[in-house]
Amino acid sequence: MIDHLIIDNQYLVLEKIHHYYKQKDVLNIPSLIFDRGKVYALVGPNGAGKTTLLFIIGLLLKPTSGRILYRGKEITEGDSKELRGKITMIFQDPILFNSTVKDNVEYGLKIQKVKSSDRKRKAEKCLEMVGLQGFAERRARELSSGEAQRVAIARALAIHPEILLLDEPTANVDEVNTRILEEIIQGLIKDRETTVIFSTHNHNQAFRLADEMITLMDGKIVPFTPENIFKGKTVQDGEDTWFDTGRIKIYIPVKGEAKAIFIDPRDILISLTPFSSSARNCFAGSIEGVMVNGGWVKIQVDAGEHLRVMITQKSFFEMGLNIGMKVYLTFKSSAVRVF
Amino acid sequence: MHFITEGFKTAFFLIFTLNREVFEIVIFTLKVSFWGTLLSALFGVPIGFYIGIKEFPGKSIVQTVLNTLMALPTVVVGLTVYAFISRQGPLGEWGLLFTPSAVIIGQWILATPLICALTISATKSVDKKVGATALTLGANAIQESTTILKEARFALFAAIIAGFGRVIAEVGAAMMLGGNIRGYTRTMTTAIALETSKGEFGFGLALGFILMVIALGINLFFTYFQRRK
Repeated sequence: MIDHLIIDNQYLVLEKIHHYYKQKDVLNIPSLIFDRGKVYALVGPNGAGKTTLLFIIGLLLKPTSGRILYRGKEITEGDSKELRGKITMIFQDPILFNSTVKDNVEYGLKIQKVKSSDRKRKAEKCLEMVGLQGFAERRARELSSGEAQRVAIARALAIHPEILLLDEPTANVDEVNTRILEEIIQGLIKDRETTVIFSTHNHNQAFRLADEMITLMDGKIVPFTPENIFKGKTVQDGEDTWFDTGRIKIYIPVKGEAKAIFIDPRDILISLTPFSSSARNCFAGSIEGVMVNGGWVKIQVDAGEHLRVMITQKSFFEMGLNIGMKVYLTFKSSAVRVF
Repeated sequence: MHFITEGFKTAFFLIFTLNREVFEIVIFTLKVSFWGTLLSALFGVPIGFYIGIKEFPGKSIVQTVLNTLMALPTVVVGLTVYAFISRQGPLGEWGLLFTPSAVIIGQWILATPLICALTISATKSVDKKVGATALTLGANAIQESTTILKEARFALFAAIIAGFGRVIAEVGAAMMLGGNIRGYTRTMTTAIALETSKGEFGFGLALGFILMVIALGINLFFTYFQRRK
């Protein structure tokens, strides 16, 4: 039982969620807890299960097995009167109904039987929040994708949901609209009443906006930042097992089939000369990027694949590393996590 | 050639002098076609909508049957209904044969598969995310369905217009079930068939013109409705 975990404002809990599609386990979440008023970023590559997870949280898809608890009450079955409108999802390509912008924004309020004058006032306020004042009478289907995304957000905000789900909100919009959408999400962060869960490919965006990052890989939650994730296939050579990414071959600790691997950037050693050790994976490459993050420095090395390494600032300066320098990367096969 | 020009002259004379018999037939035809289409829409739209949005075993078979029924010959419908409502038929006691109700029943059976099949297409053409969006904004199942139907409104309207077109233009079922009784069950098409066989070409032509004007009027109304969106 996980009910004992629901304390204070932990009000959305996913427990032992499995979802199968065409007999394939596309989502496997042993446990996931969302707090009230926090912003969560779901990060992962295409096909990682981000949208499926959002659909399940949004009660638009019933998981094959498992439970969803909201304020301690199981809601897995979905359709319940008191839940309607409390969990709202905005799709990657949101659908606007074939009417005016105003009709779209007022849709949820009409469902809630809000008075016409209040509807109008709330719709205007929400359109102002997304920077679309004066758009009320425009035909919704004639808007640009960025404007449509903003109308969809205004429509969702109008009903004041407790949980707002956004599936890749900035995937199909231009830079200007991306900035506006990020500001809207940041506005919700300040509000601290709505729990926001959004999916993204963009790690920087996730870092900027989210209180917590949830990384998905092949339907499973990956415990670390999703860097050095590679897809490919395993190759067996006698006692050795390699993982072939198509560009480089990496020794892995287990036999059998693997679809993807992950190497924690902190588990990779960087040196100016080949490092003599028992570690089986050693690659030469050149530094192509450096990013300082707190007391750490993240270095991107082109070693056939783009590998990221994390070292302390002290080590970085002592080694005198710089962009374009030739370096060697070494890591043990046991540092490779297999999916 | 002479009889054609004479026919046109008679037709215009009958129309512009508002010939009582011609307009009685027109009004009767519009009435039965309206009720036949309305009944068909009441059955065809919900059934088509359900088939359109739900997945169930045998769905493709149902759709194939409906598509086949779209091309159902009107005389076959007439014959089948006749078998049921004639004096010796299982519903013979109801005395429906050769009444306006019999014509409406025939038209209902004719138009329902057409409206149903076109409603399936209309519903399927609506993005699946429309229903999901409605649900996520707090709609219940009925409100979700209404939203999907609203999004499909132009295609649904076209489906109903197509149904109306089918019933107003058919002759076989109306002839067999209505009996083409003057002043009682005579429709435009049965009248055209009868008058032409009698050599009254002008009378038939007048009704033919009116039928075309009705079709044009409906299309103009539909175009206006679509532009207003």
